[in-house]
Amino acid sequence: MADKEVREGSELDIALEEVGDHSIIVLSGEVDVYSAPKLRDTIRNLVEEGRYRIVVDLEEVAFLDSTGLGVLVGGLKRVKHHQGELGIICNQERILRIFRITGLTKVFTIYPSREALLANIKGA
Amino acid sequence: MILAGDKNVAFELEIPAKAKYISLARLFVGSIARRMNFSEESVDDLKIAVSEMCTNAVVHAGNGTADKPPINIRFVVGEESLTVEVRDQGPGFDPRCVLENQPSGLLEKGFGIPLIRSLVDVFDCQSSPGGGTKVTITKFLPGREGR
Repeated sequence: MADKEVREGSELDIALEEVGDHSIIVLSGEVDVYSAPKLRDTIRNLVEEGRYRIVVDLEEVAFLDSTGLGVLVGGLKRVKHHQGELGIICNQERILRIFRITGLTKVFTIYPSREALLANIKGA
Repeated sequence: MILAGDKNVAFELEIPAKAKYISLARLFVGSIARRMNFSEESVDDLKIAVSEMCTNAVVHAGNGTADKPPINIRFVVGEESLTVEVRDQGPGFDPRCVLENQPSGLLEKGFGIPLIRSLVDVFDCQSSPGGGTKVTITKFLPGREGR
């Protein structure tokens, strides 16, 4: 229990990777009303740079609430405006459940792993 | 577990009406719920619900834009359930607008209340224009619902 509680309450760290024409936003920490603007800015900046194929890696996210979902939906709308796509990498049941409850599993392409994304990019 | 089997033990937390303090409310509810023997899935449910409640309270109270009154969070440990009450002293609203409106289409907002309602067993929202808002949730320990 102690280890889990130490990991909770961590701030949001964002790293960027480029794989072909895809930009991968790797998140770790917690996405809530305080930290979500950082993610919103990252997506906006990518779109302004003309990067319309974005994947957000949620594998190291400890917490995601409705504000985080809203930012992802906003990002999806933004890239769709340019005929782009915004996918999610996530295999964490605690996070996937939130997408299911809100009906967003039907809206986002969700990859179970980084390997699944790379295989999809290779096969395209 | 220190809280397992306790009944009607209450804790109160007061946080400034700023987004950066909401994670503390999540830590608090997570710690209490684990010590009541809630499953990790239920702990996650409670953390999300409390986070959403506090987010709404902070937003209604102005998110630290001025000298806004703090948010009060009360945790009541029951023998079979945990109840959390979040009170803000914001401008209040007609709660029917929130309770009856379901989001439709691809919206960026409006996930919060439906999410809370699907994750807890009891949800109540009391608010009135000018009177602040009190949102209360209850989650029962597994197998204790409706006893």
